[in-house]
Amino acid sequence: MSLQLDTLAYTNQLRKLPPEHKLIFAFTTLIISLCSHALVQILIALWMTVWIVIYARIPAGVYWRLLMVTIVFCLTSLPALMVNGVAIANLPIVQLDSWYGLTFGQFYIYISRSGSIQAWGILTRALASTSCLYFLVLTVPFTEILQTLRWLKFPALLTDLLLLMYRFIFILLKTANELLTAQNSRGGYSTWHTSMKSLALLIGQLLQRTLQQYSQFSLGLQARGFAGELRFWHPRRYHSSPRYTVEAICGCVVLIGLEICRNAGIFTRI
Amino acid sequence: MQEYLLEFEQVYYTYPGSERLQPPALNGLTMKIPSGKKCALIGQNGCGKTTLFLLANGLYKPNSGIVSWCGKPLIYNRHYLSKIRQKVGLVFQDPEQQLVASTVEEDISYGLCNLGLPETEIKQRVEQALIEFGLTNLAETPVHHLSLGQKKRVSIADVMVLHPELLVLDEPTSYLDIKHTRNLMKTLKEIHQNGNTLLIATHDLDLVYRWADWVFVMDKGQLMLEGTPEDVFSQKTLLEELELGIPLILC
Repeated sequence: MSLQLDTLAYTNQLRKLPPEHKLIFAFTTLIISLCSHALVQILIALWMTVWIVIYARIPAGVYWRLLMVTIVFCLTSLPALMVNGVAIANLPIVQLDSWYGLTFGQFYIYISRSGSIQAWGILTRALASTSCLYFLVLTVPFTEILQTLRWLKFPALLTDLLLLMYRFIFILLKTANELLTAQNSRGGYSTWHTSMKSLALLIGQLLQRTLQQYSQFSLGLQARGFAGELRFWHPRRYHSSPRYTVEAICGCVVLIGLEICRNAGIFTRI
Repeated sequence: MQEYLLEFEQVYYTYPGSERLQPPALNGLTMKIPSGKKCALIGQNGCGKTTLFLLANGLYKPNSGIVSWCGKPLIYNRHYLSKIRQKVGLVFQDPEQQLVASTVEEDISYGLCNLGLPETEIKQRVEQALIEFGLTNLAETPVHHLSLGQKKRVSIADVMVLHPELLVLDEPTSYLDIKHTRNLMKTLKEIHQNGNTLLIATHDLDLVYRWADWVFVMDKGQLMLEGTPEDVFSQKTLLEELELGIPLILC
């Protein structure tokens, strides 16, 4: 899955836009979605879907699966907020808050009004903010995020570490995969018992191989004249698109306007 | 012009910690790499080829003996070594070991950035290397999306962009199919025509016979034999003793 997301980030239709534009856009919408109310948040989630699926041409199925991760995660945790229980004796205290309730022996279990409102708020906020982050993940390759960080004068130590982590994730995945295939081909996972044994071996070997890879990698770095800092040259082949810039700015202004109107109470008065 | 680029004189090297387990990886090796030639190094697995290459690049320091470049012994300080590593380009057997950055063009630029060159020159040299090695349409591809043949090509471009005088390749054709081996040999031919000296380690004797001007035979950390392919492969008994065999063409 991580490799698929990575591929999409390199091949989407918004690749040619300057990465800092996309970063600013994603963070602006993220901040709006964190500060606003349900209506604006739902609009943001929908708008981001348009950006991701229609403008960037990320397959809808992939995006849907990603959203499902968030939704399922929320749905498993929200009932805890919505459902409350009290002893029968305390029923009058929660009478106002109770939406629908059942009595079980000495207990009264009910769906809470305030809890439901809270849960709904969390769900819309989670959807809006994850869709903003998915926009970032799906349209900006990790290397370009790093470039932007360097451009913003982030410390070299931090960006170097991020870069090495990114490189090593794929080396580690490859090593783990190779080991797993080797074990599978020799029947390493045929029964529960051997599976456990093989898994333990895999984890131990992975550490050893990673250390080995590391020492080879540092030789490789030295051979190429490593001078204490990883520096690269980046060509800039981006084209900013007036059409997308205008849509992004207008959209954000409308969303902020909507939120201010809501807070001013215009909608509730009418 | 110097007759010999790189010289090894009575070089001994033992990997730290393996003194009692194994004989030294290089056991009194004496070898001279002639300038302007296509050299090949053959020998069994574990005969010290890779160790030799790491010493050639100044990555390891010999326990005793002298490694010299153009007649002058290597000095093991940072400044001098970075110059040597630019002149002796080392391509590792496993390209994964050498690729540092996340996209192809960034990776090619890495060595140039380490030399502290101005940006315009880096740009020009990276673009030239992309064209020379047929990597233009892979320029923005992340390295973990490349096939092994492509990674190999990138790792050679990485080193060639620094304009080394001696290019050392550790088993360049392992992992590669016939088509990619042919392409690689074509690239190496072009590199040689531009005046570079080449040294490759390989197990492919037919390739050595067809391609090399000068052949070194190593065994147990020592140089056993050197000469033109015709001379070396005429010594059938010695090669049989070393269990190396001879090219199929001569069988």
